[in-house]
Amino acid sequence: MSYAFRDRLATADNTTWLAVAVAALLLAAPFFLGGFQTSLLTRTLIFALFAVAFNLLYGYTGLLSFGHAMFVSVAGYTTAKTATVIAPALGFGELFGGIAPVVTWILILALSVVVATIVAVTIGYLSVQLEEIYFALITLAFSMAIFVVFLQDTIGELLHSFGLGDGTWSNGSDGLTFRMGEVQLFGSEFRLVSLVDPFHYYFLALFIVTLGLYALWRIVRSPFGMICQAIRENPDRARALGINVTYHQWMTFIISGMFSGLAGGLLVSLSGQVNPEAHAHWSFSAVPVLMTVIGGPYSFLGPVFGAFAHEYLRWIIRQFPLLEEYWQFSFGVLLLIVVLFLDNGVAGGINRFRAWLGVASTRYADDGAGGVVAFTRETVTHYLSLAGEKLAR
Amino acid sequence: MSRHGDRPHATSDSNLSGRFSRRGFLAAAGSGAAVTLAGCSGNGDGEGPIRIGGTYLLSGLAEALGAGSEAAAQVAVDAINEDGGIDGREIELEVRDHGDDPQAQVRSLVQEFEADVLLGMTSSGVTLNTGPTWEQLGVPITLTDIGTPWITEHDTETYGSYYEEDGTAAGIPNLFRTNSHTAHMTYAMAQFTVDNYPDITRIANMGPDYAYGEQTWEYYQAYLDGLGFDYEVVESQFPELGSGDMTPQITNVMNADPELVFTSFWASDTVTFTDQAAEAGLFDEVVDVLDTIGASPDNFEALGDTMPEGVHYSGWYWPGSYDTDADQAFVDRYQETYADDDSITEYPTFTGGSTWAAVQIYADAIEEAGGTNPDDLIDVMEGYTYDDDPRGSITLDSTHHQANASCVIGESSFDADVPYDGAGQVNIETYEIEREEALDLLEGSDLPPGM
Repeated sequence: MSYAFRDRLATADNTTWLAVAVAALLLAAPFFLGGFQTSLLTRTLIFALFAVAFNLLYGYTGLLSFGHAMFVSVAGYTTAKTATVIAPALGFGELFGGIAPVVTWILILALSVVVATIVAVTIGYLSVQLEEIYFALITLAFSMAIFVVFLQDTIGELLHSFGLGDGTWSNGSDGLTFRMGEVQLFGSEFRLVSLVDPFHYYFLALFIVTLGLYALWRIVRSPFGMICQAIRENPDRARALGINVTYHQWMTFIISGMFSGLAGGLLVSLSGQVNPEAHAHWSFSAVPVLMTVIGGPYSFLGPVFGAFAHEYLRWIIRQFPLLEEYWQFSFGVLLLIVVLFLDNGVAGGINRFRAWLGVASTRYADDGAGGVVAFTRETVTHYLSLAGEKLAR
Repeated sequence: MSRHGDRPHATSDSNLSGRFSRRGFLAAAGSGAAVTLAGCSGNGDGEGPIRIGGTYLLSGLAEALGAGSEAAAQVAVDAINEDGGIDGREIELEVRDHGDDPQAQVRSLVQEFEADVLLGMTSSGVTLNTGPTWEQLGVPITLTDIGTPWITEHDTETYGSYYEEDGTAAGIPNLFRTNSHTAHMTYAMAQFTVDNYPDITRIANMGPDYAYGEQTWEYYQAYLDGLGFDYEVVESQFPELGSGDMTPQITNVMNADPELVFTSFWASDTVTFTDQAAEAGLFDEVVDVLDTIGASPDNFEALGDTMPEGVHYSGWYWPGSYDTDADQAFVDRYQETYADDDSITEYPTFTGGSTWAAVQIYADAIEEAGGTNPDDLIDVMEGYTYDDDPRGSITLDSTHHQANASCVIGESSFDADVPYDGAGQVNIETYEIEREEALDLLEGSDLPPGM
């Protein structure tokens, strides 16, 4: 191992080539992955956007929302209704011919963001009046209210009472399942979203997720993002500096909701179905929380690492019937490890590992393989004693 | 309907998997762990085992139900393998829980486990949500435990497409079903009501608070109306699915002073309801209590002495009700297999007959088709008659793919000959109904027969 390589490993200078390598890998992935893995990767990328959007509120602003399922669910039902009712009613089939599914999908994303924004504006305004655990509880309460609205099909009943429809709108516990249609372009025909191998949809999702992450990156690096962090660190001091904390939190809630809605539109387009239990229940709100905690809330890419860790560990657990039977327990163990050993989730773990590699390579240069073995032994002993101390407390 | 026109090319989408290399992708996923991923589908017509993939609820509310279906499927697979397999090829069965993403489980079974054919499921809602996924995977799927009639209704012109226009016709071309369903069962219960309680007028309903509970109640009333029965609904209560406390709803029903109580509880909800209704004295105050799919040995065993005698619960199958050699052979084999297994009730559950039949039909179809090509299998299965079904000969309809299977209504009794501590069923009657008669009875209700 050359000194230069060790140096690169130990410092942040390698960020650019790492980003290029990841981009190349992501662009090439669906060409050599099978249908199942392409679908899993698409879903993971969408969850990465969802988790980063959630983390704008949590990691950057210090507000733990336990109701982010509300944005995905309202965007999800908007997606289903756009695909089955709005696009056909607007005559997209006749207007756009072979590319109608693509135009429908663009409309889906636009409407998903609009509807999620409306929800975020209203619920956010009320929620940010509270802080800490009360904020978490009020977001949970609003989210479960929306869950019940979809489960009981309140919208259908309301419309029916005005003489519109037959009382069915969200289709109760079964939810809505739909087909996205086939694209005919330059003589070729393909499903915009294949449920078993979303090859084409993967690139569309990758493009939107990249744009979304870039936009969020710009936001957190802007003065707006700095104020978020100031509020997280000390709201009183931020207020003393002349910042309207409540207003700023409200704006952050709206932005987080908008991008969560975008992720919801992408996700429900991928799965072709939305239902209260899977997308509106509080347990779905726990997903971005878990991803962020696993990945690391104090790093922009932490939730992205968390999304990958969450989804791929879930996939690995699914391969083993015994683990699958107790998959929540398996995740619990993972979370325990993260809390015990890592300061900032997987992102913090990666930084530590990079630092560890730097030291290990120095030891290798000094003492050869024996030095690395000794250093590994020292590390393991250190962590075991650390775990013992934490558990003994 | 032109079935060939509607059928997707069996593996058109799943064949895209493994474009460049089917194996060999290393994923680190941030943790440094390297795992080999595989992405291919179907086992083709070559050598090696024939793979059957199943998805049932193996945890939570319906754990015993799903485990019963898995047990019946395993008994059927063992029987075929003991006879030398299918054309010398062994059958390999893998059954998985619905999990938190049932569609991913189904895709994984076909694309990772390389299942040639599928079995399932335990939830009607999940089944309806999974329809397009099965359709695109293309391999045959046979439902053995599903109540909703919509999934085998293909008449989109009359009922509207479930997936395109908020309709109720969700039939997909590669899906079959071997159990009788809600539209059979509620007919049986309505006919039973008319035949046995012609003077009763006050009826109350209790069912789980989700689509199944609502649908069964709608179908039962529609059939009663179709049969010209004169009655009054005095109360209708829907406790939450999996609720641990149904006493408020039971009290409301009792306060309405019904003569007959119709219920649609299943799995552990049946146990909760029966236990708490017995405690409240409901069974002493009404003439009868009916339940859609509560008649299952696992429920009766769980209830033990609490199960009241003389009430009429129904099911899609009850062991020993059919006086057929095939049923006796199935029950004997099942008991022999699970005699020493404490985790399974040593008697087939109410999905036993349909699950056994599904596996046997697959074996017959693969043998007749000379392989596992999905299109060939579907061709054989459409209109296929399976004579050795424990419930008597059944035929899979060539258009709707629904078996003309019967359902049973029996009287709960501790005199029944069952191999566990608890009540069984006596005076069992079987009921069947065909599409034309169902259409006639359901006229004006907008409810599809799905048969």
